Amino acid sequence: MGNCFKTPSTDDITLLHDNDSQDGTQQAAPVPVGPPPPYQERAPVYYPSPNVSRPANMLTEDEQIKIAQRLGLISHLPTGVYDGCSKRGKECAICMCEFVMGEALRYLPCMHVYHKDCIDDWLMRSFTCPSCCEPVDAALLTTYETN
Amino acid sequence: MVLPGKVGDSLVDTQDMHKRLQKELTALMKDPPTGVKVDAESIYKNLSEWIVDLDGAPGTLYAGESLQLLFKFGSRYPFDSPQVMFVGPNIPVHPHVYSNGHICLSILTEDWSPALSVQAVCLSIVSMLSSCTEKKRPPDNAFYIKTCSKNPKKTRWWYHDDNV
Repeated sequence: MGNCFKTPSTDDITLLHDNDSQDGTQQAAPVPVGPPPPYQERAPVYYPSPNVSRPANMLTEDEQIKIAQRLGLISHLPTGVYDGCSKRGKECAICMCEFVMGEALRYLPCMHVYHKDCIDDWLMRSFTCPSCCEPVDAALLTTYETN
Repeated sequence: MVLPGKVGDSLVDTQDMHKRLQKELTALMKDPPTGVKVDAESIYKNLSEWIVDLDGAPGTLYAGESLQLLFKFGSRYPFDSPQVMFVGPNIPVHPHVYSNGHICLSILTEDWSPALSVQAVCLSIVSMLSSCTEKKRPPDNAFYIKTCSKNPKKTRWWYHDDNV
């Protein structure tokens, strides 16, 4: 079950570097004594619908399917890196912080742009644009039709 | 860092929430909308609970009334909506405001968006009051205040009237 919940990270090179360096430090650290922490406390939390949060190992089958589909849809939305060009806004409406050069962004079909981490967190709860409330799946279909 | 039974409420979440609330507070202090006042000193002591003073808009049924809103923010703010209710001696008499201060307003639950803010919520509430044409309590007030939870977000609101 665990594997199908991982976000695809094939084209994200920064993540790979992170993993490498973490592996390196873990090897250098002394071997921890005692039993490993219980799995349940480490399970990632998902939001099958707004205001409902559950660790991954307590999701119903329908919720698992919904989450897997949602992850797939989110991965189809274009991403980019802030290059200092503020044509599509220079602030993330979710964290209210200005974009900094090099930060990962995600573009929604309605042309609103957010930090990738901020918007992905929201899209898992509700597949709508926080700024214009447009449902992202409907807007995705329109872009497919016009292209 | 992770509280038992509350998997995912990590320290990182709380830091993000504080950072955003700090930004909202700074913006509200610098450029407050008319009729909205926050007491920054009390908020700095506890950033997760805000008291906001509202003035009823001139030319409306609430003109001249002083009102107080209580905001409570959870560690998942702005992804989760804040708890918002009227407190203090003057709970406005309005068809969407219960006498215990709870407010029936869809942006506070199902229509919440993380792009909304304390300022946006305050302005929506002022606008909700301003469009009121007759001061009265919701028809189910007596039953609701006897049976509801202390947390208005626990109520399964049924948004039935968009005109008031």
